[in-house]
Amino acid sequence: MKSAWKVIREQFKSLYLIRRLSLYELKSENTNNYLGMAWVVINPLIQIAIYWLVFGKILGRSNDIPVDNGVEVPYITWLISGIIVWFFVQPSIIQGSKSIYSRIRFIAKMNFPMSAIPSYVILEKFYQHLMITGIVIVILQFTEFKISIYMIQLPYFMFAALAFLFSVSLITSTFSTIVRDVHQVLISLMRMMFYLTPFLWEPARLADAGLPDFVQKILLLNPMYYLVQGYRSTLLGASWYGIDHIGYTLYFWGFVLVMLLFGSFVHLKFRDHFVDYL
Amino acid sequence: MEKSVIVKNVSKKYKMYAKNSEKILDLISPKGYGKSFYALNDISFEANKGDVIGIIGVNGSGKSTLSNIIAGIIPPTSGTVEIHGEAALIAIQSGLKKELTGRENIELKCLMLGFDKKQIVELTPLIIEFADIGDFIDQPVKTYSSGMRSRLGFAISIHIDPDILVIDEALSVGDQTFADKCLEKMNEFKEKGKTIFFISHSISQMKKFCEKALWIQYGHVEHYGSMAEVMPQYEKFIKAYKKMTKEEKKAFQKKIRKSRMSKA
Repeated sequence: MKSAWKVIREQFKSLYLIRRLSLYELKSENTNNYLGMAWVVINPLIQIAIYWLVFGKILGRSNDIPVDNGVEVPYITWLISGIIVWFFVQPSIIQGSKSIYSRIRFIAKMNFPMSAIPSYVILEKFYQHLMITGIVIVILQFTEFKISIYMIQLPYFMFAALAFLFSVSLITSTFSTIVRDVHQVLISLMRMMFYLTPFLWEPARLADAGLPDFVQKILLLNPMYYLVQGYRSTLLGASWYGIDHIGYTLYFWGFVLVMLLFGSFVHLKFRDHFVDYL
Repeated sequence: MEKSVIVKNVSKKYKMYAKNSEKILDLISPKGYGKSFYALNDISFEANKGDVIGIIGVNGSGKSTLSNIIAGIIPPTSGTVEIHGEAALIAIQSGLKKELTGRENIELKCLMLGFDKKQIVELTPLIIEFADIGDFIDQPVKTYSSGMRSRLGFAISIHIDPDILVIDEALSVGDQTFADKCLEKMNEFKEKGKTIFFISHSISQMKKFCEKALWIQYGHVEHYGSMAEVMPQYEKFIKAYKKMTKEEKKAFQKKIRKSRMSKA
């Protein structure tokens, strides 16, 4: 508990630092390309186009897909409103995990607020997420799912995603620094999670495929499931997802809290010796 | 005399793993596993304010490890380091981001060192002037020559105005005029009563600049005293070492290495 408190205080103390460093991160990542920042948007759009072609057209998903609260939407709408979560979570988890060991040489000072490193890496991804989300919202205005009152949930789900990513990255960045293989495991795990979270297919399909009920219950344990369904309900104006599924909301925050407590503990325990593991 | 650095019984152990599996065993078992190597073994010394101390010793004797510990970059395995004031390390490896411009690197580096916005705005022009690399300051660092890189790195480190300055071989790159400029700046520091640790393989530079010498020999303090006292002994040792036959040298090094190893 104490360590979590310390880590959170450190975040607030280094707020300016985190903001500036994340901007530099964004800059140094994109200055080499002629199109610069535009790639932040082009890459996801290409991927969406492929998924839509393969899963929407070729594999024939012409039926409407249920979101929540009985609202049904066309596949492409369903796809883009959810996959933006993946475009945020995936790079954040991967980069967050290697954030400390790949930067520690550059930091070169023990009294640097080490827990700010995963935060600024995640914040940099969050800027990109904001841009993509903005574009998706604009696209949705050309469908029947225009901006609605449900949109005020968006900041909540963004915050939930940030909290989730930060807590997870505290753990992964620590263990990847000590044992580099953790990072490789994480990469495979994330590849798996892409197919085990309803990004490309809807949970109702499980029943169609003849799988028993408990399979879906197991998939619900994945906190990304909560985020993606929350984003969809928000962007498509289907429901007050966090309130309608209050039990699930409690589970999600319980999960984040446990990760945060454990992450802060291991982070503080090992951080003085991170340099020794290089 | 006011003390600025007090190093007490500092040791730095590095684990040597023959296999990766040993590394994991070491992490899991509570007592630790595998052989370790003492980069530093029970080092103790004190430095006063205004001291300019040259750290001498042959390659692999632990000079850089010691300077990293004084600057607070790596933690000692055991023992204590008491530092009165801020310590900064100036090394050739200045840790600049090569995709960013010089100016951006200045801000980034200052941020990392814990400066706030206002201080950074004040410092930037001073750093740029000292580095003296002209229009290159707004070019990405990857286009710099190695000389320019070290000039910028040096300029940044020197302007953060530390109380204790650790200079690790940083003057060996860069031309004579820049080296003179740095020495001048360091003399300024000396007059202000700051403590400077100076590591260099150039004995003449050492004699000119430092008053005290700390001779590190294979992880422990061989001698600590005034430059006039220590340097002749060091030079004598170097001479004697050079005179040894190949076999003698090998036997000598083997003995030394053995003395620095320990179980777990």
